[in-house]
Amino acid sequence: MLLTLIRRELLDNLMTFRFAAAVFIMLLLVVANTVVLLKDYERRLAAYNTALKTHQDKVQELKAYSGYELNIDRPPNPLSIFNAGLDKRLGNQVRVYHAFVPTLWDAKMHGSDNPFLNIFTSIDIIFIFEVILSLIALLFAYDALAGERERGTLRLVLAQSVRRGHILLAKYISAMLCLLVPLLLSLFLAMILLTNNHSVSLSPDDFLRIGGIVLTSLAYLSVFYFIGMLISEVSRRTSTALMLSMFIWGFLVLVYPNMILAVMSPSRPPRAQVDSAMKQMEQIWEEFDRERKGFLINDPVPGESIWFKIGAVGGSHEHLAKRASALDVHFRTGLNLEEINERSEPQVPHAQNYFRFLEPRVISTAEKTWLLREQGLKNIFVKPASIDRILLKFSPVGIYDSATQAWAGTDLHGIRDFFDAARQHRQRVIDYFYDTKVFGTRQWFAGDKQAVDWNALPQFSFKRSDIGINTERALPDVCLLLLINVILFTVIFLIFVKSEV
Amino acid sequence: MIWHIAKRELYDNLNNLRFVLAIMLLIGLMITNAIVYLREHPTRVQQYRSSATESLEVLKARTDLYDIALNGPGDLYKQPAPLRFCADGGESFLSEFVDGGYWMWGYGDGFRDFWLLNYPASNPNLLNIRPDVTKVDWVFVVGYVLSLLALLFTFDSVSGERERGTLRLMLANSISRHTVLFGKFLGALISLCIPTVIAILINVLVISTSSAVHLSSEAWERLGIIIVIALVYTCLFLALGLLVSTRTQRSSVSLVVLLLAWVIFVIFVPSTLASIASGLSSPISFDELQKRQNQLHRELWDAYRDRTSGDETLRRTQGRSEYIIEQQEQQERSRREHLNQQITQVQQARSVTRVSPTAILQHSLEAFAGTGFTRHLQFLENTQRYAREYREFVENTDRSDPESPHLIGVPEGMSKKPVSPEAIPKFEDTFSLGKDFNTAAIDLLLLTLFVMVLLSAAYLAFVRVEV
Repeated sequence: MLLTLIRRELLDNLMTFRFAAAVFIMLLLVVANTVVLLKDYERRLAAYNTALKTHQDKVQELKAYSGYELNIDRPPNPLSIFNAGLDKRLGNQVRVYHAFVPTLWDAKMHGSDNPFLNIFTSIDIIFIFEVILSLIALLFAYDALAGERERGTLRLVLAQSVRRGHILLAKYISAMLCLLVPLLLSLFLAMILLTNNHSVSLSPDDFLRIGGIVLTSLAYLSVFYFIGMLISEVSRRTSTALMLSMFIWGFLVLVYPNMILAVMSPSRPPRAQVDSAMKQMEQIWEEFDRERKGFLINDPVPGESIWFKIGAVGGSHEHLAKRASALDVHFRTGLNLEEINERSEPQVPHAQNYFRFLEPRVISTAEKTWLLREQGLKNIFVKPASIDRILLKFSPVGIYDSATQAWAGTDLHGIRDFFDAARQHRQRVIDYFYDTKVFGTRQWFAGDKQAVDWNALPQFSFKRSDIGINTERALPDVCLLLLINVILFTVIFLIFVKSEV
Repeated sequence: MIWHIAKRELYDNLNNLRFVLAIMLLIGLMITNAIVYLREHPTRVQQYRSSATESLEVLKARTDLYDIALNGPGDLYKQPAPLRFCADGGESFLSEFVDGGYWMWGYGDGFRDFWLLNYPASNPNLLNIRPDVTKVDWVFVVGYVLSLLALLFTFDSVSGERERGTLRLMLANSISRHTVLFGKFLGALISLCIPTVIAILINVLVISTSSAVHLSSEAWERLGIIIVIALVYTCLFLALGLLVSTRTQRSSVSLVVLLLAWVIFVIFVPSTLASIASGLSSPISFDELQKRQNQLHRELWDAYRDRTSGDETLRRTQGRSEYIIEQQEQQERSRREHLNQQITQVQQARSVTRVSPTAILQHSLEAFAGTGFTRHLQFLENTQRYAREYREFVENTDRSDPESPHLIGVPEGMSKKPVSPEAIPKFEDTFSLGKDFNTAAIDLLLLTLFVMVLLSAAYLAFVRVEV
């Protein structure tokens, strides 16, 4: 009996204009945008590759260890074509050196883009799904019950020995089957474009991630179908149902996400919090600086200069760098000499002593401020952002968006993985420095005698988190979507069983 | 008769659920808009004032002509637009200032590059890990929400009557068809105008009663123009709704067609076309610009190297002066070229998006609100004009001193007379309504054209339709 019902509903749906229109528009939008997004991805990848090369060459040019300052680059995520998330937005290169703990807020953009282009909004495939799938689901659902009631066929069907639950189930299954056609067809075309593109290389894990995205899309679709069905059930006439569904669609998809964030979130970080955190970090560095100056005064070479009367060609720097917008205070000191006069040779050990004393302290002070900074960043940047994301989850669109971001690895976690890797790399470099005891050597600040073998240093590599972690991150949102599905279905079922026809 | 039909439509709509929902939605959005504006605008103005005065103070403190010519006017700030609640225009991605004190190379021995205009980029996204949102400004409310409402108000106006059979009844009377159509159009327009006007009034009331914001009479004029544009834009969607409603047999089909057209033209066309069009041209990257500037600098320096040193004082001073002037011109030119390339890319993308009425609405609302890209170009032009004035001032002051050797670029070649701080030209960023009209003219014409075409298409369709 259920099969007969499903077949009837399926035929009913497949022959409609809205089905054809849905398939057409999904294909059109997804294909057109995939082409655009692929182009964009290619451009970003090319920018990444050039940046990678220039940065590697730059390191090779350096002569002394103290100049070590590797720019590491974040590769674009191929799955950002599905959900760009934060992948495109946040900085994609960050400096790594021993005196500074790098974070997401210290990253910069490759200087290859036109910054004005940011005024245009960018679209990804999930955005198309968010807007169109929900709309189509509602268009399929609004007359599911109200229409039959109006035409009187519902009464006719119920006069047979059919269980009410079966009618609902049949309607749901057949509509979902129909809705799957545009979804899968457009995804299929997108995948063909993706796999035929030479610059995109998808690993088997990526296919699993895309599978996760498809499953989440299904759950999302089904939520909107149920919402439409509920509306169709409670309204007497199809025209009312249609009107109500369109308003609810507009509210959930268009209005709510933008409105809630505009109302709830302050646009500037709290001044007082920033100031106090900055002050604390400055104090730590000032203390460090006192210690440093104390050493310089007490050493055999008079004066506070870090040149130690060495006659040489080169540069030096000592300064406290502050950037309140990113909650960043750090101290840079260093000497970088290309040639040293013969006469100054006896002075060189003084500089060696200085750096042997100083650099471990620089590292430990950097770590000390990092503890403070990490806390501050969490309070000032991460917390408001996660509150925003929770607020967005009151609309299914927000849940869907964050789940697909988690699958694609373009959410905050995914981006932070990269910066965690950058910090680990810094730690490895520091360990290498300690192991080879370079702080006290001449090579630390002078490149005149023997060039540094940069290839001996640990090399940076970054791999996106594996699929298990992605699943773990996406699971709460997926479960939430499923839960909403179950609740909606139960409500619909209860109302339908009790309703008079 | 036309009024009679319009009145009937109006009463019909007033009793409808959609009218109540529309009022609630629009009022909610407009109040949000006002609250956000009142929260952000005063701090914006304050910040502009304090930074503009600060950079003016620095300028006023200078009395030495060489110092003035060397360091430039400092940061030049963009005046924040009081009507930013109408159109946000992506202002946060457009820099708030131009750096008029930028220099790159020093040569020791008391001479250095002169200042030049540097156009910093603004990218708040680098620090922002919050989710992406569209700003709730009038462009959003009118462009997205009101257009959707317009379609919801008209999709069944003809096809619904046909379905119910009342269309036949009405046309059986001695009413001309165009009267019916325009009556329906007017009825829908008025019934949509009521919630819109209420929402706009509440919005403007909240904003203007706040003591923190003062709207000048020119701002009110601009606001009036913006409302008219919004009205024309709404008419466009009403006409589209009528056209599709006439051409389709059933209202459900009509709504599906309209919604899909809406989604394509309102949501997808502006951004998709913009990304396609911006892919067509590729300006040189910032890294390349720096490389090119370094090369230019090296070539010029090589050409002047022997003339800028040596023991012969006059020859050396002359050489240095010529070098500095040429270096300044050359470097500034290459920066401006780079900027122009970027601007061309954006303008190409913007002109292509004019296929979508929403993009047209956005452009014209931005033009009258004094925000967005075209306004930013005006600001850049203002700074460039000011830079010329400033340099002319230096030249003229030097020329008017008979004791000066008239060799600008080096301290010993310039007038030593103290300059009075009042005489130095001051930068002030200005708006001009006339200019904004010019930039928006093509958009306004296009919008009107769209409305005309759709209305006449609806008319033709309705006249020829079989009932």
